Amino acid sequence: MTKLNCESVGMAAMAIADGYQSELSSDQVEAHLADCSDCRREVGQLRALSSLLDAQERRQRTENVWKRVERRLPDAAPARITSQAWRPFMLLGALLLGYRIVEMLPDRDFGFLFKLVPILFVIAAFSYLKENPFKIDSELRLEGE
Amino acid sequence: MDDQAAIERCRAGDKEAFRHVVEHYQAEAIGHAVAILGNREDAMDAVQEAFIDSFQALDRIDLTRRFYPWFYVILRNRCYKLAAGRKKREMSRSDETEIVAPTSSIRPEDTMLLEQAMLELPTEDRELITLRHLDGLSYEELAERLEVPRGTIMSRLYYARKRLRDRLTRHAFTGFSEG
Repeated sequence: MTKLNCESVGMAAMAIADGYQSELSSDQVEAHLADCSDCRREVGQLRALSSLLDAQERRQRTENVWKRVERRLPDAAPARITSQAWRPFMLLGALLLGYRIVEMLPDRDFGFLFKLVPILFVIAAFSYLKENPFKIDSELRLEGE
Repeated sequence: MDDQAAIERCRAGDKEAFRHVVEHYQAEAIGHAVAILGNREDAMDAVQEAFIDSFQALDRIDLTRRFYPWFYVILRNRCYKLAAGRKKREMSRSDETEIVAPTSSIRPEDTMLLEQAMLELPTEDRELITLRHLDGLSYEELAERLEVPRGTIMSRLYYARKRLRDRLTRHAFTGFSEG
């Protein structure tokens, strides 16, 4: 029988105490705890702490933020994404596909400028959408993690 | 008015309908923001910003799902952004607890020690312990709120509890004993 890692046992014991299954069975955990006094003490403390915490409640708040929020709400309704939002991308895809087909025609050389056409398509599409494709939305990042 | 009807009306530009949403969820949101930030003033700012963000993003909400778990992700982003920006501002220190409510299960001085130990925890630990133990969220709900797999919840919770136990021991907390 392989010796179980004490940390894995601790983790599994707490998951089981929370009512969840872990990679280790309850029997494996209990067998290890019976043999390992360090784990027994550790898990005993954590179970007791867990029970204590379960008996606590989060403080109820009574503050009202509506007035502060209302002052700063934009006048316009939130922009709704309609089912037509994909259309510019569909058009862009069709144009790029058309370009590719023309480019594949044998015995034709349209010159260097022709190779810039896809870039122009993309610039035109993003100009139309008023979006910067290189913009990174930092609002979505979890800083401090 | 239920959430779905309120959100539909908000989408049509009815700000008063958003009042229903704000007033319905603000207490929970402030409680969670205080738990993350450990500071009431910052929490109020974060909640206010999160509600404004959510109003502007209402077009993206899936109306078949509950509002608050969706909103929580926005609130959480706001809180962490604020926490990262302010670096080490003083956590709340007063005679009243901000996170843990006084209960009859432990002595008032132990509630204060528990609150103090929680405030000393890393932000992620404090958030996780609040959601799991004070709100009673399941592992699945925690995984949804924190956008991590269930296995990660299991390990993070284990280490968070160990760190809390260590801090309580350091404060000579006597409110719990080995079971």
